[in-house]
Amino acid sequence: MEIEEEKQGSVVIVSPVGRVDGVGAPDLDRRLAELAERGEHSVLLDCAKMDYISSAGLRTVLIGARTCKQNGGALTLCALQPDCKTVFEVSGFLAIVKSYDTREEAVAAQTEAG
Amino acid sequence: MLTFVEEIVLLMLDDDGSVLPIRETTMEYVVAGAAMMDLAFADRIDTDPQRLTVLDATPTEDPMLDLALTRITGSAEARSPGAWMETLARHDAKAIREMALDRLVKRGVLERRDESFLWVFQSRRYPVIDDREEREVKLRITGVLLSDDLPDPKDVALIGLVDACNILPYIFSAREIERVGPRVEQLRKMDLIGREMGGAIAEIERSIMIAMTQTPH
Repeated sequence: MEIEEEKQGSVVIVSPVGRVDGVGAPDLDRRLAELAERGEHSVLLDCAKMDYISSAGLRTVLIGARTCKQNGGALTLCALQPDCKTVFEVSGFLAIVKSYDTREEAVAAQTEAG
Repeated sequence: MLTFVEEIVLLMLDDDGSVLPIRETTMEYVVAGAAMMDLAFADRIDTDPQRLTVLDATPTEDPMLDLALTRITGSAEARSPGAWMETLARHDAKAIREMALDRLVKRGVLERRDESFLWVFQSRRYPVIDDREEREVKLRITGVLLSDDLPDPKDVALIGLVDACNILPYIFSAREIERVGPRVEQLRKMDLIGREMGGAIAEIERSIMIAMTQTPH
């Protein structure tokens, strides 16, 4: 799975492209683990180009968010597309992982949170 | 490390080794859901709210889980997680539960006791003879529910199972249940298989209640 990455200030923006399912989720899993190893604990998952997420993808997001939090940071979401947003909503993820409409809002909020 | 099936089968027993008062259909759905969770965590299946996808048909080498995997891979028809849960509950859950109990007996966690009553009625109990596994599972549940930390996906799945068969009152006091209620509500849907299972069981319970209230006296 293609995963774009860039850094804005202290926030690393990770943008998965396509399907985050049982096939693609392990790639995202590895990328998030690499970020944790590099000491990057403020992560924004930009979902603008993510068009599908399954159970396996949700588990990856949860593990990533948990790791960031355990290391004093946070993982947030932005630009969720309608189908993915529905999955995040029905599973109750949005009650425990913050989500923003745009990348700019998310970066600003995450930078402010430190 | 126990599988989800073994964990929930163990938690469904009381201190005496008798099965807690859980409706048979509920038990079958919970065992089917646990087997699906085990297959998902073994990277054999993946789900979304509409579909179950086989990722890898290679046997897990665990006969209990391979029974469910073979059933799923043996069908060419695409089905929802809920439809597969119903199929597994109906056809395989009893056998999977028996296999889990056998394995727990072989591991020395449980003991099988066959007893007869009035020389006619046979009953079987599974008293716990080594409670380390049971204590560890209960500690995990307590730890997740009494904390505000982001949970581990495996613990989320376990909470879904425990909540679906309504056995929290056997783990927590009434006061504790009141305290952990909002946290259970928050976590129980986070695993999509658990969410599907909870919904299916709630629907069955509703149907039974309606049937009972409509039965003429």
